[in-house]
Amino acid sequence: MTTSDTQGMSPLDYHVLLALASGALYGYAITEAVERESGGAVIPRAGTLYRVLARLVSWGLVEERAGPAEESHPGRPRRWYGLTAEGRQALADESRRLGEVAELAMRRLGMGRP
Amino acid sequence: MNGLVRLLVRLHPARFRERFGAEMAEHARADVERARAAGPGKAVARRIAVLVDLSTSAIAEHARPTWSGTRGTRTRDGAGTMVMEWIRETRLATRALARSPGFTAASVATLALALGANTAIFAVLDTVLLEPMPYEEPAELVYLAGSIPGSDLPDEFGLGLEFYLDFREEASGLEEVATFNLFTSTFRTDDRVERIPMSSPDVSLFGLLGVEPLLGRIADPERNEALISHAMWTNWFGQDPGIIGRAYPMMDGTTREIVGVMKEDFLFPNDRVMVWVPNAPDPSTVNPGNFGLNVVGRLAEGVDREAVLPELQAIARRAPEKWGGSARYAEAVAGFIPIVRPLEEELVGEARAPLWLLMAAVGVVLLIACANIGNLFAVRAEGRGRDLAVRRAIGADRYHLIRSQLSESIVISGVSGLAALALAWFAIPAVVSAIPDGLPRITQVSLDTRALGFATAMSLVAGLACGIVPAFHASRPNLSRLRDGSRGSTRRGSFGRDALVVAQTALALVLLTGSGLLVRSFQALYSVDPGYEVENVFTFQFAPEEAHLVDGPTWAAFHVETMNRIRAMPGVESVGIVENVPLDEGVRGVRVRTAENPDPETSVLGSATLAAGDYFEAMGISVVAGRGFTDDDAITPGNAVVSRTLAQTLWPGEDPIGRQIESTVMPDSWHTVVGMVEDVLQYDMRGEPEPLIYYPIVFENTEAQVTSPGYVIKTERAETIAPDIRALVREIAPSAPMYRTFTMKGLLDRANAPLTFTMIALVIAAGMSLLLGAIGLFGVLSYVVSQRSREIGVRIALGAETSRVQRMVVAQGARVVAIGVGLGMLGALGVGRAIEGLLFGVRPLDPGTFVAATAVMLAVGLAASWFPARRASTIDPIVSMRVD
Repeated sequence: MTTSDTQGMSPLDYHVLLALASGALYGYAITEAVERESGGAVIPRAGTLYRVLARLVSWGLVEERAGPAEESHPGRPRRWYGLTAEGRQALADESRRLGEVAELAMRRLGMGRP
Repeated sequence: MNGLVRLLVRLHPARFRERFGAEMAEHARADVERARAAGPGKAVARRIAVLVDLSTSAIAEHARPTWSGTRGTRTRDGAGTMVMEWIRETRLATRALARSPGFTAASVATLALALGANTAIFAVLDTVLLEPMPYEEPAELVYLAGSIPGSDLPDEFGLGLEFYLDFREEASGLEEVATFNLFTSTFRTDDRVERIPMSSPDVSLFGLLGVEPLLGRIADPERNEALISHAMWTNWFGQDPGIIGRAYPMMDGTTREIVGVMKEDFLFPNDRVMVWVPNAPDPSTVNPGNFGLNVVGRLAEGVDREAVLPELQAIARRAPEKWGGSARYAEAVAGFIPIVRPLEEELVGEARAPLWLLMAAVGVVLLIACANIGNLFAVRAEGRGRDLAVRRAIGADRYHLIRSQLSESIVISGVSGLAALALAWFAIPAVVSAIPDGLPRITQVSLDTRALGFATAMSLVAGLACGIVPAFHASRPNLSRLRDGSRGSTRRGSFGRDALVVAQTALALVLLTGSGLLVRSFQALYSVDPGYEVENVFTFQFAPEEAHLVDGPTWAAFHVETMNRIRAMPGVESVGIVENVPLDEGVRGVRVRTAENPDPETSVLGSATLAAGDYFEAMGISVVAGRGFTDDDAITPGNAVVSRTLAQTLWPGEDPIGRQIESTVMPDSWHTVVGMVEDVLQYDMRGEPEPLIYYPIVFENTEAQVTSPGYVIKTERAETIAPDIRALVREIAPSAPMYRTFTMKGLLDRANAPLTFTMIALVIAAGMSLLLGAIGLFGVLSYVVSQRSREIGVRIALGAETSRVQRMVVAQGARVVAIGVGLGMLGALGVGRAIEGLLFGVRPLDPGTFVAATAVMLAVGLAASWFPARRASTIDPIVSMRVD
């Protein structure tokens, strides 16, 4: 996975990777984390979220994980998702790129660091 | 909701669905669940968001798959091939429909509206009427009452305690009996005081119904114990399991321990009851002739309702010798006839007829919609005559031709079915909130599996109904069409189309007449003079339980003072008190004696309430003779006011002022009549006025004590004064809850709500059917005009005037409509009879309504004919003859 492969990364892809960077999560917990971390700007509903997960899994950035052993949840066992090594790398690359872009913007607005 | 989510999940490609489907559904559920906590508006918005999201992701995943997981290989057998062929056919049909978007959109919109309305009403009807009550062997449960023809008692009255006890002891046809009731009383927790609906049934009720609590156990009537509803447990106590064992003051202020929480589906006798305080009836409290208990029973095994009647009658008629009572009582009981009805009927009550009426109305709308779409398909098939003839000529068999025709209508109905589910899903909460209070299980109505099944079945049936006639028609293409290559201008097939328009017109007229009758009844109900004014009147109750209010005069003085405080508020014209606010509460039934006729055996049946202050002035009840109450009357017992009907019954043709009167509500306490007031309608606008005594609010014994009088305030600020009053009440009696806050206008609307709801629903259905009927007629005539354009062109070329051409087309439409109207009148005769129970002030065969409905139908029919007629008259002969 190289940086060029992640250029198609959407804000939602990015937020999902970001949410998973702190540890494996199951579906609805991802939505909650994304909503929190984006300040409510991005809230994936069921269909959108799982299409993103499907894409990230088939790109090899995310993989299914065993959930925490103590988790007890009535009904069907939940599926947990976590970052692969490539996923961590892609998140880091994208973060760097966003950081550079943000810095450029600040410079142009004359608000950059001296 | 869950069904809809599952359905949308299923629309995703199989590979994606197999891997993520279950998770997606779970996610959507959690999403909606979480929004529900944030309030109804939020919940609706979230539902929409979730559904839109699932729909778009389903489409997106088909268009640009994100998931290419391995897919299991499947072998295909014969059935598989057939399925594949149908799928291919469906795909072809979808493409064909996509090529005529106008036709497709019109058909889908029509059918979706009709199916959606049917599904929503079915969901209500099914939950309220069809699903068996959640009790053991519900068919064995009966409601017991009595009737004494020829007596002055109502046609049907609740049993006396003595009958109840004897039935329980002696009736072998009844396995078990129980009493139940319904009242509103105070419930107090540390931070909340409210008046809530409660019931105090015989403890045998729970065993009789075969219900167990969700938590805890059934309360013991010997101890101060109570049960609460699942709804109360949720809303008041956040489903805290620690509720068991806690004690709160309730009902008469006694602190009772909560020993059980009932299950969610235990809603007896209705959804609103929150507390049950079981009791055990005490034979020592029997007072022969005191009727009015609600009694429910379970028939013994193998005994039916008819079979138990003779036994109950025999037992009841023995009551006087066992329990004593007056000679008048013994005489009445000799004519006693028991009434045994299915319990379900008693609980559902008057809702049955309107619900079935609505189901029938939306069913008619669906029929009309199907007729419309069937017509459109027939026209389409006709247009394709040559194409079909070619397919037949090169060897396609009829089965294939029918299949390819049917698949189009099935696709339409399938898509409509999905849209209908979405519509119903939004419509159900709206319908439920519009339905008047008091329907059992109404809070449990939802788009459940049965409603989903109904919707699926109905869309399939509708699809077949719309497509079958045109499909068979198309499967017999006229091969001669291949020979001359001409466009047919024959009238072949027009009979079927005309018949459909006739049917539509007839059905629409039936609905139109029915809704017309209801509109007339509605107007009549709102123009009834109830004897009081409903504009600018605000009412509320509060129950001061201050320790110093021990005796009647102190208590009355407290309220006189409160009235004075309210009277001083800005914008208040007058203030009064009444024990039972009309249209909100019932008055007590009493037996009335006069000084001229003091014999209890010949006393007159009447009603009693208590009033004070400027009650009559505030309510706009006119004082016909004498005067109303003064503040002195309120605190010193002795004076009373009577209603006109009571005065005329007691002293026909004579002056009631100054007479002495007594009733069973205050036995042996004689009052002087100081005024006669106009009659009022206590219960609703359909009833007769009660013969009523107004006592002053000061009481001489506890039997007549008012604990919670209704305040009636005449003010321009009726809609907005509540917060000011609440502040005043908090100041005067900080611990007393203020409740039953209404405007009289609001109470009137509530009393008329059953008719209002049915009327609005039927008017909507009639409007839809009228519109669909008009579209159908328009479609048929337009088609006829286009088919006859060559002939019309020739006529115009030969000098026919445009007005003549227009008349010709309109006449064709008018003929079809006239036949439809004729048949519709016959149907309307029946519908008037069917809804007779709902009507008020208008006869089922009201000529005015019939004429008006017919006129509307004819006008709409002519208007629908006029547009095609105008088009016909503008046909250019040259162009029309050049066609083909």
